[in-house]
This record gives sequence, C-alpha cells and structure tokens, in this order.
Amino acid sequence: MNIKKIMHVENLTHFYGNQIGCKGINFDLYKGEILGIVGESGSGKSTLLKCLSGEISPSAGKINISLDQGGVKDFLSLPEQEKRQLMRSMWGIVHQNPRDGLNLRISAGGNIAERLLNVSEKNYSFLRNTGKYWMEKTEMDSDRIDEFPLSFSGGMQQRLQISKILSSNPQIVFMDEPTGGLDVSVQAKILDTIKSIVRDINVTMIIVTHDLAVVRFLTDKLLVMKDGIVVETGLTDRVLDDPQHSYTQLLTSSILQV
Amino acid sequence: MKTGFNFAYLDEATKRMIRRKILKAVCIPGYQCPFGGREMPLAYGWGTGGMQVTASIIGKQDILKVIDQGADDTTNAVSIKNFFKRVCNIMTTDRTTEASLIQTRHRIPETTLNKDQIIVYQVPQPEPLRKLEPKEKETRKLHAYKEYALMHVKLYEEISQFGSVIKTWAYPVETNNRYITDPTPIPKFDNPKMNNMEALQLFGAGREKRIYAIPPYTKVKSLDFDDHPFEIQTWDECCSICGSTKSYLDEIIINNEGKKNFICSDTDFCKSNLEKNK
Repeated sequence: MNIKKIMHVENLTHFYGNQIGCKGINFDLYKGEILGIVGESGSGKSTLLKCLSGEISPSAGKINISLDQGGVKDFLSLPEQEKRQLMRSMWGIVHQNPRDGLNLRISAGGNIAERLLNVSEKNYSFLRNTGKYWMEKTEMDSDRIDEFPLSFSGGMQQRLQISKILSSNPQIVFMDEPTGGLDVSVQAKILDTIKSIVRDINVTMIIVTHDLAVVRFLTDKLLVMKDGIVVETGLTDRVLDDPQHSYTQLLTSSILQV
Repeated sequence: MKTGFNFAYLDEATKRMIRRKILKAVCIPGYQCPFGGREMPLAYGWGTGGMQVTASIIGKQDILKVIDQGADDTTNAVSIKNFFKRVCNIMTTDRTTEASLIQTRHRIPETTLNKDQIIVYQVPQPEPLRKLEPKEKETRKLHAYKEYALMHVKLYEEISQFGSVIKTWAYPVETNNRYITDPTPIPKFDNPKMNNMEALQLFGAGREKRIYAIPPYTKVKSLDFDDHPFEIQTWDECCSICGSTKSYLDEIIINNEGKKNFICSDTDFCKSNLEKNK
C-alpha cells in the first residue's frame, strides 16, 4: 500500500537571538498519521509547532508539503496569502486555550460557519446543518448552537474549537496541549471524542503535549524533545515501552503510579 | 463676488492631491484610498470628507444639489450648499434632474441619476469590517487577500438570532466582484440603485481620511445567502403628501397620542410627484 507523504521536515532550526528554540529537526508525516511531540517545558516543542504552522518563520531548514491539489510545495517560501488560506481551511490549529481559537463575540454556530465561509459556502441552511452535525459529532448539545462560547464550560469550549477546525475537513490539524487546563475526567472524555473522530475521518494530526497519557492514547509516532533537539523518535508504543534515551527513560518513569 | 478664499475653499495643491486619489479610487472600484485630509470649517461627522471631494471636483459650470436624509432643506444640507455658494459662487438647485453634482448624506435620490452626474457620499466609517475586526493592519489584509468570511458570519448571526438579516442601513455590498464596500448609512432600500448606476459615485470620509469610488456601470451586489436573498424595505402605507408607493418613506409621529404619518424622505421627488399628479 502506498501511503502519501504530506509533510517532509528537514533540518528545521529556530533561534531566538542566541537562544536555541529548536535545532536540526527531521521527520516525515504521512496521511492519516498522528504524530506526538513530547518534552518538558522549554524543550522547544511549541517553537517547533509554531514553525510548522507558519506562525513564526524558522531561522533555517526546509518544510515541504504536499497538498491535495497542487503537488509538493515549499511551505516556507509560500506567499503570506497562501499560508493564511491554508490555515483557514486545509490546515487548522487547536489552541490550548479555546479562547485563542474561538471568536467570543459570535455564537457557537457562527464560529463554525466562519471556518466554512472561508471555503466560500454561501448557503445558510448548509452552514446551520454542518454546524449542528459537528457539534453532535464532538458530543455537544446541538440545541445550544446559538449560544455564545462564554456560556459554555471550559471542556465544551474545547469541543467547540475542535468542531470548528474539523468542520472544514482539514488535511492537517495541529493541536497544542488540547487537554491542558482541563480536569482529568473532562480530559478523558475529550480524548475519547478526538480518538473516535480521527479514526472516523482519517485526519492527519500533530499533537504537542507534555502528557504521556495523551500520546499513548492518541498518537502513532512520537518525537521526544529536550533542549531544542529530538532525542528519540519512533512508534509510540515502542518509545514508551522500551525507551532508549536517558531522558525518555526519565520521562516514562516519572508517571505517577497511583 | 470676492470671498477671500481660493475657489472652492481648498488650495489648488490640495485639490490636485485629492483628484489624484479620486482617479486611483476610480481605477480600483471599492478600494479605500488614504488621502491627506484637510481641516474643513465644520466638525468631523458633518460631511468634511464629502465636502473635500466636492471641493476638488467642482467647477464654475457645476450646479450643486446637497441632500441630508433625502431632504434639501435640513441643516446639514443647507449649510453645505451655502458654503459652496459662497466659496465658489456657483448655482445650486433642489432639483435632482438639474444638478450636475450631488452631495448626499444617508440617501440616494429616487430619480435615476444619469451619466452626466456625479454623486458624492459623506462617509462616517469607510471600513465595513471595522466593527468585526478592530485592527486596521488586519482589515487591510482581509481586503487584500479577499478574506471576507467575517462579513457573512455577521449576516449568519442575524439570521440565526432574528430569522432574517436585520441590518437595514449601511448594508455591505461587494463592488465589481472584488472589494466589500460600505455604502455609507443609506437605507438598504437604496442599495439596488448603486448597481450599474450611470453616474460616477464618489465617497469621502473626512475623519478617517479615505476616499473610495464606484465608477459608472459597475456591478454592485448586496451580500446575502443563496437561501436568504437580499430584500429591500417595503411599506403598507403610501406617502401622505404625494401618494407615492415607490419611494423610501419616513415615519413621523404627529401628535401626543402617537399618530403616525408616512412621507417621502426625498423632498424633491415628493414635490415633483405632487406637481405631476395635480
């Protein structure tokens, strides 16, 4: 079976002044794959995510992306317009804080509609039905479609953010600590939701987290980062069950056994 | 008559600068051109932008008409008309058909404008996306990249809350299939008149220092959804003076019991209609 490579990262490096953000990162991302990036605070995982999603432009390196239409492109040299267009429809970021990804002044349905309107659907009932469909898919009450995000709980806001991003049927979804700041039971429910959806719609994802439970539950492949470099990489279960690098060993043994 | 001012108040260099901006605006229909707005001898919000545009294109042969909410005899209209009479020594008129230059606030005359006329709108807020995106840097990008989802989200929100779009004035339009444009606070009743208009439409915003334009015969489309098409206001009543059923009507409370009357907002149209029917 020939699985399509949709992202190729080579020697990706970013410096903040003299400070290393991330250095010499290489990996390939295949369609339908879920890649986890773990590491402690300050290990460069957020910097890496920002480089990949075009939020900052890295000091050096190469990112080749292969789009559904248009073949392989050099992501870093794309004009701003195309990057924004990508982010608004074919790619999506789920922020740790749902308030960064949602427009709080418009209703839940409006938030999802905004995403769909970027790919220019100018039909009200289509927007309405798709909004409801995705709210139900992420296990929200679709009767609350006209309520404002602030009237939702933190967990519900996160679900709304996820349904907003997924509604445009994106090619790659970047998640930055999607369950950070939520209590354990809500975390578990959201992870369940994410897992059932990704298997369903075969979306490709890059998840940045410091929570090993999240990566074990969701991801296929893993990059372990420390001090800006990747210290270990491989299949998630292999890395977690048989860690080779001393830092990974420390990380896996630091899980609280209750 | 000696006025002590240059013809049309502004100095020649300023008028040249504004004309240059107008030419640019005409070339890029709906695009907001920044210009070096001058102080005018009246407060921002009273039509300083429209007056600067008028001042820079007015000539000695021009016949000027100024309307405010459709009426020729309201304070703003009368003051601006007197101002240009004094600094240009030109003819003014109330008749839409006689005017070569019309400056307007909040209405487009009911009488169809022709190719020899120019209509100048006074613009309070040239940026249609401003209330949706407060950053100027961002709204410029949204225009440049034609990312107009926000505008439709606003319409979506109104339909989901009220069952239909409730915006009745300053209803956003798309000019020449490209830029989303603020038609100024005209009622949406007037939006269809902007489409393919024979006259040149110029817009001046004094406080925001922007000029934009819609050239003659340009497509102007009011935004809507496929399944919620754009509609204009309608009334069950007719004008209580001239009896017109086709014009935009103002509702007027005429006594303490709250008795209502409807009359044409366009005073010139009302008068001519009355004369015609006599």
